[in-house]
Amino acid sequence: MSFLEIRNVTKKFGSLVAVSGVSVTVAPGELRAVIGPNGAGKTTFFNMISGFFPPTSGDILLNGEFITRLPVPDRVARGMARTFQITEIFPELSVRENVRIAVEVAEGMSRHFWCGAAARARVDARVNEIVTQSELMPQAGRLVGELSHGDQRAAEIAMALSLKPKLLLLDEPTAGMGEQETHQVAGLIRRLHRNSGYTIMLVEHDMRVVFNLADRITVLDQGRMLADGTPAEIAANATVQAAYLGNAE
Amino acid sequence: MFQVVLYNVTNGLIIGTFYVLMALGLSLILNLSNVINFAHGNFLALGGYIAYVLSPHLGYWGALLVAPVVTAAFGFAVERLMIRRVYNRDPVYSLLLTFGLAFVMQDLMRYVWGSNGLPLGLPPALAQPLSAALFFITYYRIFMVVFVAIAITGLFAFLRYSRVGVRIRAGTLDLDTVAALGVNVGVLRSFNFALGCLLAGLSGVLAAGQIGLNPNMGDDLLMPSFIAIIVGGVGSLTGTLVGGLVIGLAAALTTAVYPAASEAVIYVIMALVLLIRPRGLMGEEGMMS
Amino acid sequence: MSGALARERPTTAIVIFALLLTAPFWLPYVGGYDALATRVLVFGLAAMGFNMLLGFTGVMSFGHAAYFGLGAYGAGLMLRYVTSSTMLAVVSGTLLGGLAGSLFGTLIVRRRGVYFAMVTIAFGQICYYIAYSWNSFTGGFDGLRGFSRQPIDLGFTSIDIQGNGTAFYYFVLLIFALAAAAMGLILRSPFGRTLLAIRENERRARFLGIPIERHIWMSFSISCFFTALAGALYALLNNFADPLGLHYTLSGEIVIMTVMGGMRAFWGPLIGAAVFVVLEDTISSMTVNWMSFVGIIFILVVLFFPRGLLGMLKRRDAA
Repeated sequence: MSFLEIRNVTKKFGSLVAVSGVSVTVAPGELRAVIGPNGAGKTTFFNMISGFFPPTSGDILLNGEFITRLPVPDRVARGMARTFQITEIFPELSVRENVRIAVEVAEGMSRHFWCGAAARARVDARVNEIVTQSELMPQAGRLVGELSHGDQRAAEIAMALSLKPKLLLLDEPTAGMGEQETHQVAGLIRRLHRNSGYTIMLVEHDMRVVFNLADRITVLDQGRMLADGTPAEIAANATVQAAYLGNAE
Repeated sequence: MFQVVLYNVTNGLIIGTFYVLMALGLSLILNLSNVINFAHGNFLALGGYIAYVLSPHLGYWGALLVAPVVTAAFGFAVERLMIRRVYNRDPVYSLLLTFGLAFVMQDLMRYVWGSNGLPLGLPPALAQPLSAALFFITYYRIFMVVFVAIAITGLFAFLRYSRVGVRIRAGTLDLDTVAALGVNVGVLRSFNFALGCLLAGLSGVLAAGQIGLNPNMGDDLLMPSFIAIIVGGVGSLTGTLVGGLVIGLAAALTTAVYPAASEAVIYVIMALVLLIRPRGLMGEEGMMS
Repeated sequence: MSGALARERPTTAIVIFALLLTAPFWLPYVGGYDALATRVLVFGLAAMGFNMLLGFTGVMSFGHAAYFGLGAYGAGLMLRYVTSSTMLAVVSGTLLGGLAGSLFGTLIVRRRGVYFAMVTIAFGQICYYIAYSWNSFTGGFDGLRGFSRQPIDLGFTSIDIQGNGTAFYYFVLLIFALAAAAMGLILRSPFGRTLLAIRENERRARFLGIPIERHIWMSFSISCFFTALAGALYALLNNFADPLGLHYTLSGEIVIMTVMGGMRAFWGPLIGAAVFVVLEDTISSMTVNWMSFVGIIFILVVLFFPRGLLGMLKRRDAA
């Protein structure tokens, strides 16, 4: 049984074929990584799934439902949440406020002009739960713009969690981070996956992160799917090695 | 009757050419620097006054050529001293800055040259009417339209063929890439701002020959120029040219039939464009949104 | 706790209202007068309404004079041609400006940045053009006269706000306080926080599932209603509606008041309006070149005080 199913998607920009005939299925509760050298089409692939733009051809199914051309808010409503390569947060608001906005939107309160005591208590509880889950309690009152890279990423993930996602899409979650921050974020992702059972798909550059985290790995190269398998299978795959070494500097 | 219509149409045409010249300058600055130059009308007036000061020494023709350049130099200095500082800030700041600048420039010109109109003398040959029957059309009116046409052609040729012009166009599309190629974007923007002011100054000298000088002479042209840009599509210089011609001609034709509505028709055109084709006639989807 | 506004100290509001409530008593000692204080309230309200959009949604309108002016004409026309009820006139003006803004807003919510600003300016100029061309109805260039604010009839008694400038000041202060409370509540609500989200990061907000265009439209409309309310009060203050009240010059002044006071602070626009109105009043009585001074204020604020007066105080607090 598959939770996310990508059937033979292709994306062309003019004459440039960014992604060509890629199919991937992700099982519920799986942590799937998509890797590939620069220009492999990872980001394009990811943007099609999250609804930035539709594929030129092919289909995307979430929980058996066609979502190929669904706009972003409808995908969010069906349980899809994403983070970005460059952290997208609300810098001049505190961690708690960042999460609160996301929780209120998820609770369907985004057009409420008034928040009663009961609703406020419910939102407060949920905000606390998420801030704890994303390991940000000590920084809860600080402005997100003033936090470290790793904590900003955690705050962004916290916002995604507020939407009660069934599928979490993470675009290069450790991009531009140092050793320690990479470790922190990878640890957070692992705990969210193992302890809270989220289905996660992530695009990643850092091989160590991927091989330690993922249940299965999809390798893209020049828009095509090169391989798909467990980390061990991928590590042993000669084509993958050739592609990586061939493209490595 | 025929003469009245012809008179109104030539008037409209001339106003239209001023719309185009003003709007092109505004559009240049807007496209490259993302700044709405509220003071553009004041640069126009400044150009006229500089010509007024220079013409006793250089004659009309000398003033016509030198005054726009002096206006451009002034614009260059203003950009270096002030406008440059707000490029990386919220757009509200650049709007307020040029807005304040407009106030100061207008008031200073009033202070220096007085609020009453001043004439700019024309060479006698230009001041002649075409013929007794067409007494209301002077050679100067013809000359203005031709000169503006040449100036606009020159501008587009400059942007297409010169190295700096190509850089300006490239910067409009993607400033970061142009900077990455090693172009000094700061200087490019200053130069571009000055180029916009050059066009304003030129409009000012030409307008002064027709309607004389006063400190507010550019004000009535500012709004139609905005509308020319909106109608043509923000981000496209060709669009601005087309937009300016469209509203200029529409105003001219309306003037021929019912002069009181000539301003209204401009607004109606803008409203129609916003309703039917919000990105403007030649604007690209996604630009500025 | 509940939104960025919680960082506003409640003492600011207390001090402001203490000063406003006692203004008629201490103003004469500093050379002020009731009508000047009323002007401050009116422009403060206009700028605070405008700042819902600029400061708290991050969207740049440069045509808010249109809704201010429509509010003034709506109230003036009502009093002149239809009713003698001051309250009805205020409501009509507010509705005229607010609804015009809401309608126009549907056309432009997809635009951003300077383009949004340009289109709003142009729309404002359409209103300006209509007001000065429609001579027979609006009084054209000379503005709309021939109406005056009428006593407020409370049933058991009626309050003379025409002859008594102090009574009118308190009338405006009451409306101002109610409007400020409404704005505060909106900004502290879940809806208000979605506006902050849009200001802070539009892409993030979109991917949280906030319908951006719809919320910007709502913010724009709400902002227009408050600014129109201020315009209606302005017509009552002067017993006059001026086409220049629709002109983009006034839009610019509303923006500078907001920025000068601090666009990230709830009370910033009111402080900015107070400073601007008092400065303009003082300078224009001293020199004919007051335009230069106003222009220089614009330039100095932009170059040296971009965070505004309250913004600088807050910064000092944090440091």
